[in-house]
Amino acid sequence: MAVTHHPLPTERAVFWYGCNLLRHGDVLRLTARFLEAVGVDAAPRGGPSHCCGSTTEHNARITEGMGRRTVAAFNATGQDKVITWCPSCHMNMEDVMAPETPAQFSTTHVTEVLWDRRAALQKLLVQAVPLSVLLHRHAGFQPRVAVNDLVSNLLRLIPGLELVEDEEALPGHMCSALAGVPGALAAAHEANLAAMVRHGADTLCTIFHSCHREAVALERGRAITVMNWVHLLARSAGWAFRDEYKHLRNADDPRAALDDGALVRVGADVFTQLVEPELRRKPVV
Amino acid sequence: MSLAARIAEEGARMAEACTACGACVQACPMTRFAAGVAEADPAEVASGMRALLRGEEASRISLAWIGACTRSAACNSACPERLDVALMMRFASMRARGALDGVPLLPTKADRGWSARVKGFARLGLTEQERAEWL
Repeated sequence: MAVTHHPLPTERAVFWYGCNLLRHGDVLRLTARFLEAVGVDAAPRGGPSHCCGSTTEHNARITEGMGRRTVAAFNATGQDKVITWCPSCHMNMEDVMAPETPAQFSTTHVTEVLWDRRAALQKLLVQAVPLSVLLHRHAGFQPRVAVNDLVSNLLRLIPGLELVEDEEALPGHMCSALAGVPGALAAAHEANLAAMVRHGADTLCTIFHSCHREAVALERGRAITVMNWVHLLARSAGWAFRDEYKHLRNADDPRAALDDGALVRVGADVFTQLVEPELRRKPVV
Repeated sequence: MSLAARIAEEGARMAEACTACGACVQACPMTRFAAGVAEADPAEVASGMRALLRGEEASRISLAWIGACTRSAACNSACPERLDVALMMRFASMRARGALDGVPLLPTKADRGWSARVKGFARLGLTEQERAEWL
């Protein structure tokens, strides 16, 4: 990769990608690559061993323990900045984890970091992406981190991309929250689809991973494309990627669509009992 | 202070400052998904949330509202007392799901295979080196 001049000094940090972004290795890899390319040496850390505890909120002791372990792990890195991806993790750190276990680092969202270093980022975005993009926005994280504005601004750096924004952001902080309330996720998807028709958009751009995993299935039977904001940046940078989750989720037979060796790598039992049912889940609309 | 103690103490402190005016309920975009809440008196719904934070009984309607919270944060900008209503709802939800060892008043969808599932997806999408360095 060519050396890129960074107007801001190189800094080191931890990139805390959370847990469920592991479904989207392409997004994780591309995000880490963009951080490196703009001069942030951020070691990705995540998965169940770095959980924020949001999956165990019915048990305060377990939630506290998971949070304490994660904060301690980040303190042990010696880095004074943790870059987040997931809004649940980010809010958990501020609301629950750091108040319980003193954090020796500040927390910032990846969109803030990339926007701060937009001069370096802009130099990477060399290819036109002639898409009409509706941004899938939620209201909940915006007061904490202006993520809707930040992603909009990042997308506007992409040559040839037309960005449309619907009048109102969707409720919730991301789609995993809506999925837990009967009817809510379907209503969100129907609103987005109607907005795409209204604005003539051909691409739905997700911000967060749980939104992406729910939205990719909207492509089935529709002449639309669903991409994450990082995918769009990568396309403009000319970086190759494959949305593996979308490939499998939208396959007629996810098992048959696996690459050679994937079933052995995952484990037949894990795939059959835990992964395949999710991949075969019908879209809500 | 443990998280459980914080939920109890800070929750009670915020409840004391809450007037249960119901502005949060009126601003909430999720009321239409919570049975009976859209038709109910917003002040009564909010009052139930406040009661839960104090460790008191909450009405079925208030529990329905708490159960439908998706962290939209519209409540915060609506609150005339400038309370962190989103955090109040979070603590109320945790209490309602049994976080403080009480009887769960709202169901929790336990996902026992969650850890193995995300690791399975990681094996699908990440290289062995990436898994070794990033997990």
